[in-house]
Amino acid sequence: MFRKTHPLQSRSEIVLRDIVVIAMVIFFTVFLIVPIGIAFVGSFHEWNPLSGTYNFLGLENYKEVFTSALFGKSMINTVIFSVVVIIFRVGLGLGIACAINSALIKCKSLYRAIYYMPVVTPMVAVAFVWKFMYNPQIGTINQIFGLDVNWLMNPKTALLAVMIMTIWKDFGYAVVMFMAGLLSLPADAMEAAKVDGASSWQTFRYVTLPLLKPMTLFVVITSIISYIQAYVQILIMTEGGPGTATYLASYIIYDEAFVKYNFGYASALSFVLFVITAVFTWLSFRVSGKQD
Amino acid sequence: MKRKISTIALNIFLLALGVITVYPFIWMLCSSFKQNGEIMALEQHLLPQNFTLENFSNMNAHFNFVRFFGNSILITVVVTVLVMYTSTLCGYVLSKYKFKGRNLLFGFVLSTMMIPWCVTIIPKYSMIQSFGWMDSYKALIIPAMFSGFGIFMMKQHISELPDEILEAARMDGANEFYIFHCIIFPMAKNGIASIAIFQFLWTWEDFLWPYLVINSQEKQLLAVGLKMFNGQYSTDYGALFAATAISILPVLLIYLFFQKQFIAGIAASAVKG
Repeated sequence: MFRKTHPLQSRSEIVLRDIVVIAMVIFFTVFLIVPIGIAFVGSFHEWNPLSGTYNFLGLENYKEVFTSALFGKSMINTVIFSVVVIIFRVGLGLGIACAINSALIKCKSLYRAIYYMPVVTPMVAVAFVWKFMYNPQIGTINQIFGLDVNWLMNPKTALLAVMIMTIWKDFGYAVVMFMAGLLSLPADAMEAAKVDGASSWQTFRYVTLPLLKPMTLFVVITSIISYIQAYVQILIMTEGGPGTATYLASYIIYDEAFVKYNFGYASALSFVLFVITAVFTWLSFRVSGKQD
Repeated sequence: MKRKISTIALNIFLLALGVITVYPFIWMLCSSFKQNGEIMALEQHLLPQNFTLENFSNMNAHFNFVRFFGNSILITVVVTVLVMYTSTLCGYVLSKYKFKGRNLLFGFVLSTMMIPWCVTIIPKYSMIQSFGWMDSYKALIIPAMFSGFGIFMMKQHISELPDEILEAARMDGANEFYIFHCIIFPMAKNGIASIAIFQFLWTWEDFLWPYLVINSQEKQLLAVGLKMFNGQYSTDYGALFAATAISILPVLLIYLFFQKQFIAGIAASAVKG
């Protein structure tokens, strides 16, 4: 404490450093490490704060997770949801960023500002508005396209409807990220491609795309982490239904923890989901590393 | 000629996407000026046929809108300002000071971003109960004071700033507190703006945590109120549209106001990360 690590340090630097480091360590210990420990221990217990039960169960909660048909179904839904939304988010984001970036477009920042609006709108509000737009009789979507689809009540379309809404809300984030990535590309690489007579598609495929790989990886990984945790749109729009068609893994945790108060089982589910998040993040690093 | 055609095609494509992006907002805004009969009518029009401001006056009758809105503004501003400050401070120490364990500490901060909300929320809830912080704004503010994401962003930003400025200030006899508040803070404003907007949005839209720890009606936040109102059957939809429209305004206004710094801020951190 209050020790110099190199001779040029001033006293105020040491004081500031120690205050900040100690504050960070205390904060993250109390509000992160300790809770993770409590949740881990709790996941081996029958834990219900309403009835006051806290009994040791061993691995029972985890056995229940892996044999639960609902959790299995929700994992399938989560994978479909995440993969589809991420593909559209990255694809649309990249395509639109390139389009805006092209010399043919004026008002670049206006387009960017518009596409980003849904990203900074609270999910509760967005989900409520879309729920109403999907209404089969009075909803604006059926009215505009002249369709007769009961979007959120039909097991075939419910997950699709939630995915469309999520893509609408989130693609702007990828647009902004890829535009930043495009701006940071070295101009000489583009020049060199032009001098060598590459077509614009060839330049995109063999110069732009590989150079954007770190940004793509960044968008994919942040998306994986956030979509595995998505539940608000489900809570507002479908509550998992019809049947189990739109159950996502995080929604089950919300339901088990704060509707049924099965804290032990919900903790076990949370750890399983955490491990799955870590594995998918690691996999996307591996996959992107192999292409080099 | 070919160039002209592709210009038009590209603009039409981007404009069409822009309309799709904006349409739900316009539709919501128009609906908030419609009477309930018109909202539920089988024949729909985008623009209100009988323009009314009733929804905005009714909304306070259904739930304590003004009170909730005020509470939400208070909590969101306090948490956002705190997070802006702590993130910049931690980012400065982690990027400009060399000390043992610095990389370990930063690696730890990074890893906190991967922990899903669901792992820690149950124990945090029981901890808040045992601290006696239930139904108090302490429960909303203190566990949110530091943000792993914020510290990560600010570390990326501040490490870009040249060391020479700091050294010059130190030569002139400035102490670290002066350097941090009067040199680092203004220079890192793009990064701070992007944290401010993200944190404002996250605190403003979060309803699960306040729903768990706040019990009394007069202390409750807007997101919880909207969620409850939304869940009722036989809802007054006009009033709900009006309340929803107003609830998205603060975040949208802040975003439009600080757009330039915000975009520069997130872009810079991700290009580096």
